[in-house]
Amino acid sequence: MNTPEDSIDALLREQNSYQSDNGFTARVVKELPRHRRNWLRPVILLAAVIVGAMLAWWWLPLKNMPPLDFSKLQSLNSSVLSTWLTVLVVVGSLVWGAITALRSEE
Amino acid sequence: MSFTDTDLIARVLLSGDQNAFAELVRRHQSPVRAFLTRMTRGDAHQADDLAQETFLKVWQKLNTYRGGAKFSTWLFSIAFNEFRSAARKRGELLSADIEEAAEEKPAPDMNQGLRLDLTAALERLSSNERAAILLCCQNGMSHEEAAQILDSPVGTVKTNILRGKEKLKRLLSL
Repeated sequence: MNTPEDSIDALLREQNSYQSDNGFTARVVKELPRHRRNWLRPVILLAAVIVGAMLAWWWLPLKNMPPLDFSKLQSLNSSVLSTWLTVLVVVGSLVWGAITALRSEE
Repeated sequence: MSFTDTDLIARVLLSGDQNAFAELVRRHQSPVRAFLTRMTRGDAHQADDLAQETFLKVWQKLNTYRGGAKFSTWLFSIAFNEFRSAARKRGELLSADIEEAAEEKPAPDMNQGLRLDLTAALERLSSNERAAILLCCQNGMSHEEAAQILDSPVGTVKTNILRGKEKLKRLLSL
């Protein structure tokens, strides 16, 4: 036979039904602060871009660059190709780093 | 593939993953909102505001969660603190003595069936009695977990449950 306490417990459990979300989670996520610890990633990337740009400025023979002669670029051993390829990779990496850093800050 | 709460917490802590946090909210919103609705005497709007504040606090303080207690216990303790400070701000009297005086008055909707009676009767308990009963009898938490959430000794929780049930029996004429 059920005691009154059993009835109370049963009623309480019965009333413990699932409460549907109804956009609650979306409202919470919308209110979250924009940045948590992900500030670290863009900072590291931006620092790497700045250091990379300084090193590129320092090491690349920018003043003595061979002229961009397309006929010589076709030869794999040409100094024109290797120099310009290096410049292209360095500039490309710097641009990619800067874009990624800026996009992570959004 | 379903992630455990611990996996989701790790993802939030490591990379600030808002999708992982959203999944945590989705999993736990129902019991937290139901508890706060009961604690605010059926004020669903206020309960949702408190629940939102609770989850925002969880986001801010997640790095202080040590994993010693269950995540739900930690979450409910933040929810109860939010309720308590909101009640304090509104100048609500939480003292059991004052609420006991209200309990003696007959409930207006006591004849609308047992289900409604229980809702009305719960509202006439003191906050501490109501919280202890909801956590242990409705959410199936242990006395120790409820004590941690309510920041009270285990003995006090047990007393509040006994006293609350006595009042419920009287109010429901069981």
